[in-house]
Amino acid sequence: MANTSTKQVQIIYGDATLGLRGEGFGYIFSYERGGMESLVQHGKEWLYRTPKPTFWRATTDNDRGNGFSVKSAMWLGTDLFLKCTAVAVAVNDQPIELPISPANNQYSDHEFADHVTITFTYETLTVPATTVTVAYTVNGSGEINVSVDYHGKAGLPQLPAFGLRFMMPTPAVRFNYDGLSGETYPDRMAGGVDGSYTVDGLPVTKYLVPQECGMHMQTKQVTVVRNRTLDNTDHANHDFNLTFKQDGQPFAFSCLPYTAEELENATHIEELPAPRRTVFTIFGAVRGVGGIDSWGADVEEQYHISAETDHSFSFTIQGV
Amino acid sequence: MMKPELSWLDDPQTFRVNQLPAHSDHRFYQSEADLATGQSRFTQSLDGTWQFKFAKQPSERPIGFYAPDYDRSGFDTITVPEHIEIAGYGRLKYINTTYPWEGKIYRRPAYALGKDQKGEGMFSDGEDNYVGAYLRTFTLNSELQNKRVVIQFDGVEQAMYLWLNGQFVGYAEDSFSQSEFDLTPYLKDGENLIAVEVFKRSTAAFIEDQDMFRFSGIFRSVRLVGEPKSHVQDMRIIGNLADNMTTGDFSLKLKLNRQANAKGNVKIGITDADGESLFNTTQAVNDDIEINHQMFPNVHLWQHTDPYLYQLKVTVQDEQGKVIEIVPYKFGFRRVEMKNKIMLLNGKRIILNGVNRHEWDAKSGRVISLDDMKQDIKTFKENHINAVRTCHYPDRIEWYYLCDQAGIYMMAENNLESHGTWQKMGAVEPSYNVPGSLPEWREAVVDRARSNYEVFKNHTAILFWSLGNESYAGDDIAAMNAFYKEHDDTRLVHYEGVCRNRAYEDQISDMESMMYDPPKEIEKYLTNDPKKPFVDCEFMHDMGNSLGGMSSYNDLIDKYPMYQGGFIWDFIDQAIETKDEVTGQTVLRYGGDFDDRHSDYEFSGDGLMFADRTPKPALQEVKYYYGKHIN
Repeated sequence: MANTSTKQVQIIYGDATLGLRGEGFGYIFSYERGGMESLVQHGKEWLYRTPKPTFWRATTDNDRGNGFSVKSAMWLGTDLFLKCTAVAVAVNDQPIELPISPANNQYSDHEFADHVTITFTYETLTVPATTVTVAYTVNGSGEINVSVDYHGKAGLPQLPAFGLRFMMPTPAVRFNYDGLSGETYPDRMAGGVDGSYTVDGLPVTKYLVPQECGMHMQTKQVTVVRNRTLDNTDHANHDFNLTFKQDGQPFAFSCLPYTAEELENATHIEELPAPRRTVFTIFGAVRGVGGIDSWGADVEEQYHISAETDHSFSFTIQGV
Repeated sequence: MMKPELSWLDDPQTFRVNQLPAHSDHRFYQSEADLATGQSRFTQSLDGTWQFKFAKQPSERPIGFYAPDYDRSGFDTITVPEHIEIAGYGRLKYINTTYPWEGKIYRRPAYALGKDQKGEGMFSDGEDNYVGAYLRTFTLNSELQNKRVVIQFDGVEQAMYLWLNGQFVGYAEDSFSQSEFDLTPYLKDGENLIAVEVFKRSTAAFIEDQDMFRFSGIFRSVRLVGEPKSHVQDMRIIGNLADNMTTGDFSLKLKLNRQANAKGNVKIGITDADGESLFNTTQAVNDDIEINHQMFPNVHLWQHTDPYLYQLKVTVQDEQGKVIEIVPYKFGFRRVEMKNKIMLLNGKRIILNGVNRHEWDAKSGRVISLDDMKQDIKTFKENHINAVRTCHYPDRIEWYYLCDQAGIYMMAENNLESHGTWQKMGAVEPSYNVPGSLPEWREAVVDRARSNYEVFKNHTAILFWSLGNESYAGDDIAAMNAFYKEHDDTRLVHYEGVCRNRAYEDQISDMESMMYDPPKEIEKYLTNDPKKPFVDCEFMHDMGNSLGGMSSYNDLIDKYPMYQGGFIWDFIDQAIETKDEVTGQTVLRYGGDFDDRHSDYEFSGDGLMFADRTPKPALQEVKYYYGKHIN
């Protein structure tokens, strides 16, 4: 990617992690956990667990009616369990030997670069299996470009969703975004009005049976605002935020207190646990919600997500 | 005097006993001052607290409770209007197609499997047929004394027997139509004792199988009405248009109820919305008064975007010239017709941006308030919803007035749905369908058509009568259609079942009607030399997170003039507000949440609105597409 920063990013060649830091930010990528483990800007942690590709959405009434969730059930398993099978690092676009011990002994305490890319490869537990790569490129101002690639495989059932899911340690107090009003899906976005919107709290749309909800298509940028951390020394409760921006194409996202699986398990909204975290997902492909009926009619074909073709998306996490 | 029989519950041929004939829903006032306040002194509400005794089945009911000397010390209380289930006496239950006794009791409708299959005892001795005994006293207001006094029940589900001062007055079925009885012969000075025995089930259960929570009880208002000695019993207003579409063609038929051959005058006046007089006439009081084809050039037309109403006022005077009754009615001039296989309003193609609307309030079920209705109208207007199908029963009378005023095109549907008799696990299987072509069921359903017509016939907003929903098709439904055709040439008739039994297609619906047909299938119909215009009586099933793909339906509007839009299923979720048994928080519960089995669970929630009247996210999509064809 084009490096627009004049600053350099410092690289910490750890034994279990790759640390990338600079003024006002510090990121840690874990070889063991298979992903980005820490995203700190201005002293505030934004990750609870490593971001992972996501493949499932909580079954809508329409999905249930037409048997979609049954046909695509193997994506639920791999949404819960996913193997990281490879990690690769490139410095200023040059691949290097994976800098784990003892290969990392060659480095010092003052290693810098214009930008560093770390790529994780995940293998699905589907039959047949396929892979997804997630590449993070970090520059000296702490900007992270994230690029996610799904590799299509013949014989796989349609995808309920495809995205990258971030779990944040505490619930967001609100999020602001530039995009379409309300909740939108590929087959239900004509009524969305372009603009800047604020959503307070982390509302879960109160469908009688909790299900997929809260999608925002065609988003240019979104800022998640929190006011608490899990750091026992941090007693401040002022707002702090993190911004995700489009990289070329607008993106779709949802910002909820629950994972698809948590929503999936509830038969009523009151059964959902107390909101403790933010589940922020950027989607590269969104399945339509359909609407012809709720007992058999499928979502219109152009709004399906084929698992047999490639899907790619990218976005940028704003630096400091 | 007629003796009430419990066996009426089992007999589809007995559905009204001593009920007064249905008539128009006009209001009437004693004076201009009363008219101005909207409070008629001729009416006396009987809403409020009644004494109540619940019995689990007919054999356990308090027999003879209506007698003045009956010991009622063991009675509880209930509110009128309220569902017996919401009051906590009967169990809440939701089910869609199958009958509410599915898996518990084997029943087949009387006569459906043979002339000798009369179903005796099926309901009168039904173990699931719980009974509510209602009692209260009243003393007539002075304005009602020395008048003919009738009682109006706006809605009682599902069968009721009525007594006054221990004397049997009458019997009614048809939960959603007003039942009216003459109390005059039984009234006495001072305190009167009124008693109503409400049965949860009767043969009406087979034809009231709507996809809804299954309630019982007196769920709409009850009132006494005193009638002046010359009283407009019924009126038929026709505000049509001449062929030029600018000249109003007005007709009026009044039926007067005259006591002791009362004499006097009837003044009839029409003013426009600014109060300017267009027409005045005075005629002598008579049993029938008619004005035929009075023409008004350049009338202000009624339509969705400009629901202009004229004010008709009928003033009845006695021989001394004293005003004894004033009947106001607002009506519009508009013309509904079929031309070149396209349905037109005022000469222009109708596009229905509609919704199906159950009456619903999360706290009180189908007991809804005027505020609920006004909010719904507001939501309609804000989202370009221009039409409503009263699925699948007549609504509260006020709703029709609101639709006149707001310019909402109505498909006024009868109280009829029998899908449990012909649709089984999704398959069309009409082996014991009612009403079908069974003569024993015909009068019951034609009576429902008659009630719907007679009560609502003056509402400008009604463009279509609808024979009911998902009741298959046979001679009986054809007879309902024939009733409308005989009585009303100013509107069209719709019936969804036209697509279920093609043998009847020319006898039961002016339009092709389907539900949930995919856009591609509709297109096939439209490109295959269709006989009739197409209406989606139900489409875009908005259950949960839904309403995707509306553009495909919108495209049909632009491409095919004979595609005339439809009614989204549906307007509001059916769910009941209650307290969570674990946390105590206020929650919304659906089918199956009350240990009610067999159930169709969350299928009760398909609305554009959540049950508490907050909008679902999909509503903005409706606003967008419906806003494309505002007409």
